[in-house]
Amino acid sequence: MEPMPSDPGDPATTATGAVPVISTRSLTKHYGRVAALTDLTLDVRPGEIFGFLGPNGAGKSTTIRTLLGYLHATSGGATVLGMDIATQNVEIRRLTGYLPGGIAVYDSLSGSDALDYLADLQGRAPHRRAELCERLQLSDAVLKRRVRDYSRGMRQKIGVVQALQHDPELAILDEPTEGLDPLMQQSFYAILDDLRAEGRTVFFSSHVLSEVERVCDRVGIVRAGRLMAVHEVADLLRRRRRKVSITWRGSVPDLTDLPGLEDVRTDGGRVTATLAGEVAPFVRAIASPNLEDLTIEPASLEEAFLEYYAGGEPDGVEGLDR
Amino acid sequence: MNRALLFRTWSWLSLRAAVIGVALVAWGWLMPFLYGQFSDVIRDMVTTNPVFEQMSSFGSGNLFTLGGTLTLGTQHPLVIAMLGVFAVGTAATAIAGERQRGTLEVLLARPIPRRTVYLTLFMAVAVIIGVLIALLLVGMYVGAASQSLLDELPAGQLPLVWLNGVLLWVAFASFSLAASASFDRAGPAIGLSLGYLLLNYFLEILGSLWTDAAWSQEYSLFHHFQVAEILDGNADPLDLAICGLAVALPLAYALVRFPRRDLAAPA
Repeated sequence: MEPMPSDPGDPATTATGAVPVISTRSLTKHYGRVAALTDLTLDVRPGEIFGFLGPNGAGKSTTIRTLLGYLHATSGGATVLGMDIATQNVEIRRLTGYLPGGIAVYDSLSGSDALDYLADLQGRAPHRRAELCERLQLSDAVLKRRVRDYSRGMRQKIGVVQALQHDPELAILDEPTEGLDPLMQQSFYAILDDLRAEGRTVFFSSHVLSEVERVCDRVGIVRAGRLMAVHEVADLLRRRRRKVSITWRGSVPDLTDLPGLEDVRTDGGRVTATLAGEVAPFVRAIASPNLEDLTIEPASLEEAFLEYYAGGEPDGVEGLDR
Repeated sequence: MNRALLFRTWSWLSLRAAVIGVALVAWGWLMPFLYGQFSDVIRDMVTTNPVFEQMSSFGSGNLFTLGGTLTLGTQHPLVIAMLGVFAVGTAATAIAGERQRGTLEVLLARPIPRRTVYLTLFMAVAVIIGVLIALLLVGMYVGAASQSLLDELPAGQLPLVWLNGVLLWVAFASFSLAASASFDRAGPAIGLSLGYLLLNYFLEILGSLWTDAAWSQEYSLFHHFQVAEILDGNADPLDLAICGLAVALPLAYALVRFPRRDLAAPA
């Protein structure tokens, strides 16, 4: 396996000079003897969408809940928006929007009453509500219905709106697309793109690899309560190996010495292999009039992730959705 | 205190409170009515058969004086059930119920300290109990007036009766809310709170029915709300102190415990 390019402990300040929106230092949470989170050191930069990726039970929600004061750290510490999570938690929540995983909203209220109530509690005007409701297709008629009559997807939409309606400086979203249909997922991704364009920061937990690849700038991979790596998503995709399939007319040239090409298998005129590194030098090297067909499968984060986990605990990989 | 949470909580409880409030007014009215209409009959029955004497007393109350009748009215199982709806049912589910339903998540995501959440819910329940006790006393006063018994009901003592009653029932609510803040599910909180209420009730009733166990009444909070003694001008400040302590101790515990609790993701 290729060594991971970045150290989980690298603070963002050393790379960009920006003050991290979220900064944890050796953050640890134990439930009795069970270690839910161990020695988490992580920086989330201003204006980025940071994907916190890992299978169910890896420690994603524990991290979020510790940052927001639902849980108290066993050791270590963290700041959010420059404020200490242990002493300034209320102010952190004032500036943050949070979508809990599997959100439950007050069943007896209508959608609009629930959003009004939560905005009142937040103490900030819901500037973005109209726009969010429109993009998530929450019409006035829908909002007048009681939450108890909503489908899971509609509840999730209400969850997204309540987290973002007050235009928070930081959005912390725990598996936000759970229950959303593909069309609404696309709308949600577009909302995140707009937040990024406006300089908002989003901390996004997911076990769905494809959406992290779609929306995130960087990804932290967490496993069994430990942060395994932090990567630029583009970098991760660029570095990962690609599956290559080449069909030749006539005899197959010897490809074993080509740099970056591994696991070469020949079946008649067809060669399959994996390619590590840049594509362009490889294409130049195999250019030939006898080349009949060439397929290079696009890099996906999922494969990079599975590759990263290769040889690890199988549960860690099986818990991930595609 | 958080205004939005307070008013929303009252809004949720308003229908239940209105129904119970009307029932308590009717119940309060019924006590002087029973005393006015039947006390002579009962007194005659007691003089002819000692068994009736035992039956005409319940807890610290009796049917021989208006004060005794009103005391009986405040200790009757029906009143216990009606006020218990809020002091146990509402208070024990106020936090644990929201936690169980998952709605505590979005509440605690707001910039409200947990202590403020707790004190707001405490205040919401305490005020409702205060209003309900007042309605019970209004019913009693109207009932006494309708039976021309106001000379036996000194109005000047009613605020003290109200205060003692509120302290008694807020003590149960305080215990229940503390239990609610200590569990992730409503079941254990309700069970513990109901057990606390029933234990107090059992100690009071046991002592009144069995003279050898009269000592047990001292350990019951119900014994420290004696309407007859207050109306007679013999209120014991210790009763108020004990009920006040029973309010304060669970409140203090919860204000320390709730903010320190780890709230893991709901199952």
